[in-house]
Amino acid sequence: MDKIARIDMGAAGGPKVTVGDLGEYAGLGGRAMTSLMVAAEVHPLAHPLGAENKLVISPGMLSGTTGSMTGRLSVGCKSPLTGTIKESNAGGQAAQVLARLGYAAVVLEGKPEGDDLYKIVINKDGIQVIVDNSLKLMDNYPLVAKLRQEYGDKVAYMTIGSAGERKLLAASIACTDPELRPTRHCGRGGVGAVMGAKRVKAIIIDDAGMKMRPPKDPEKYRDANRKFVEGLRKHPVTGEGLPAYGTNVLTNVLNEAGGYPTNNFKSGQFADSAKLSGETQAALEIQRGGSATHGCHRGCVIQCSGIYNDKDGNYVTKQPEYETVWSHGGHCGISNLDTVAKLDYMDDNIGVDTIEMGVTIGVAMDAGLAEFGDDAAAIRLMEEVEKGTPLGRVLGSGAAITGKVFGVERVPVVKDQALPAYDPRAVQGIGVTYATTTQGADHTAGYAIATNILKVGGDVDPLKTEGQIELSRNLQIATAAIDSTGMCLFIAFAIMDQPETFQALLDMLGSFHGITMTGDDVVALGKKVLSAERDFNTRAGFTKHHDRLPRFFYNEPIAPHNQTFMMKDEELDEVFNW
Amino acid sequence: MKNKRKTNLILNMDQDQLGDFFPLLQKGVTVEAHVGCSLELLLSHQWQIPAEYAAQRITTIFLNSRPIDSLATAIINEDAVIALSGAMPGLVGATMRRGGYYAAMREGITHHATNGNVVDRNATVRVKLFNLLLPELGPGFLQRGIIIPAGELSRFFNGKSEYFWQGCRSALLDNFPILPHLLSREDLFPDQSTVRLSVNFPSPD
Repeated sequence: MDKIARIDMGAAGGPKVTVGDLGEYAGLGGRAMTSLMVAAEVHPLAHPLGAENKLVISPGMLSGTTGSMTGRLSVGCKSPLTGTIKESNAGGQAAQVLARLGYAAVVLEGKPEGDDLYKIVINKDGIQVIVDNSLKLMDNYPLVAKLRQEYGDKVAYMTIGSAGERKLLAASIACTDPELRPTRHCGRGGVGAVMGAKRVKAIIIDDAGMKMRPPKDPEKYRDANRKFVEGLRKHPVTGEGLPAYGTNVLTNVLNEAGGYPTNNFKSGQFADSAKLSGETQAALEIQRGGSATHGCHRGCVIQCSGIYNDKDGNYVTKQPEYETVWSHGGHCGISNLDTVAKLDYMDDNIGVDTIEMGVTIGVAMDAGLAEFGDDAAAIRLMEEVEKGTPLGRVLGSGAAITGKVFGVERVPVVKDQALPAYDPRAVQGIGVTYATTTQGADHTAGYAIATNILKVGGDVDPLKTEGQIELSRNLQIATAAIDSTGMCLFIAFAIMDQPETFQALLDMLGSFHGITMTGDDVVALGKKVLSAERDFNTRAGFTKHHDRLPRFFYNEPIAPHNQTFMMKDEELDEVFNW
Repeated sequence: MKNKRKTNLILNMDQDQLGDFFPLLQKGVTVEAHVGCSLELLLSHQWQIPAEYAAQRITTIFLNSRPIDSLATAIINEDAVIALSGAMPGLVGATMRRGGYYAAMREGITHHATNGNVVDRNATVRVKLFNLLLPELGPGFLQRGIIIPAGELSRFFNGKSEYFWQGCRSALLDNFPILPHLLSREDLFPDQSTVRLSVNFPSPD
């Protein structure tokens, strides 16, 4: 990955492609690339849908190699949903293919005049930007099917559905999986709307004629990768739990803990949670001839995804993840997995974030637009988004907008981004991350990344309550670094519990780039990324007062523990003091 | 469930049908137990779960919806709800682990030892099994017997496919043989009664 492509969509005479060297961005990938570039090059007060914003697409530092789990793609910009800096990442094939073509980043800049819609073709011969108005308002599944007729099955596609074209704030960017289904989404923050604003409907990435990226020390890299894979396979989470049940294995546990937000965060337990659980879902998938074990990109050994079929054995969608099953399920009082699967398909097809949409429908239910537990009404609301009706445009702009339009007080957002599936009143520590992350409420912003091994911030006694601030800080630092490698976050458990697996990861990074990589280097990278993101947000007008949860979390105790969010503002303000 | 008539039902099932019982087990079933002891003793002595297995596989345990860190200090009351889980993904999964590095993040709901007097007696508790523990611990609980309201058991049998019944080799109702298909009759068990259901999964012939 030795080059950066910049595509000025607003250039006089039509889009202009410039390919240059890495310059100051040498050695970066993933979130480090997107965030440092956006922080340096986008005016913090730019309108997110305007010409000044940039959409930075970057494979991880190890993407395109023979390394396992290296297929995450980061997309960064100023978010139209939050107004903050945004990095949103996804699996699928795009990162691997783009990296093998040598691009450390592809940057969409400017904004074209007129209504023409473009597709971008990237291959070994270069980059073409082509007008294709036949794609207008197509949704992702039919769109990819149409593109496949022209570009075939040996490429990766990045696309936006009708939501992105309509610049809805929940719009995502879809990346195709190994079966060329548009199921892997850079979902959070409305990145699809930014792509839509630049009038780019699809990016076709073809690595024909290209080889795997060669490591500087092939033997050491191969050995480190082997140890890394062994570590993933022997760990009970990455080797057993996730392959068997996927992330939805969390439903039963969160519900038992009283941390499963139900009926728009009114209760911490859902009576019908077992009907939605990963255990139930996996059994149903297998019974219907689908699969409970499937990888979102080639080279994945965890295989946490699956295939969800209908009762007649026909494909409906990929295995909905925990957050999706929650947002469209318990959050809306819905306990039918077939309904959740249909909504997941609609999200993927229209091109919207499943968390944002599910939470929005729950807020709409609180507004009286439907009853909690009304499956048909939930689908009907999604159809409004699909059709682009005025109501659909409100809903497709997320929970915060919907709450304002309909006068709902209980709107679970931070920096206007919907909270994920863990109630911060039950799990206070994750509330710290929700409140303070640079990204708006995001459960992956402070993941369980080996902070115990990294000793981020020194030795913390995690059993002390006050350790929660330190833990959140350290988790956010470590996560920012891992998001830059292109590694799937689910490696977290194996590297957290098995020091030899963590060392194997460091050895992979080091042997690939011909350097010696230490835990301190990882921490330094994470701090650098977070500092740049915080600085951007400050310049964009965000203050410590935005690092707060909505007031209802402080005022409304939640069953069964009857607890409110108790972290003090002064404590939250300490998270980024390093 | 005290003072209710209790029916005994014993099923001998093929191994293939074990999964049919998972919805019951993850939702929770009532089992007889000697309460007033620690969770450690309940697991090891009464449920005969080896300490090594408990340490390595049952990484997350809830007692009355509160994650526990110490098996030794968690005392079991009558009607306690005990949920057992294998290792979980996600930050919250890691947070819920027994004695895990991130335990502070759920400090507000953590179970802490209480000093109240707990009567040492035979009673019932409710147990839930999740994820990897369903196939591993489920057969033991089913074999020892679960207590289930008649209505719930009828609903369970009513939804079963022909494949399930083919896998039911034999059934004994209060020690009398009964054709398995008849178990789906809604009037088989008296209203408001409870059933002590034991399920054996003998090795294939």
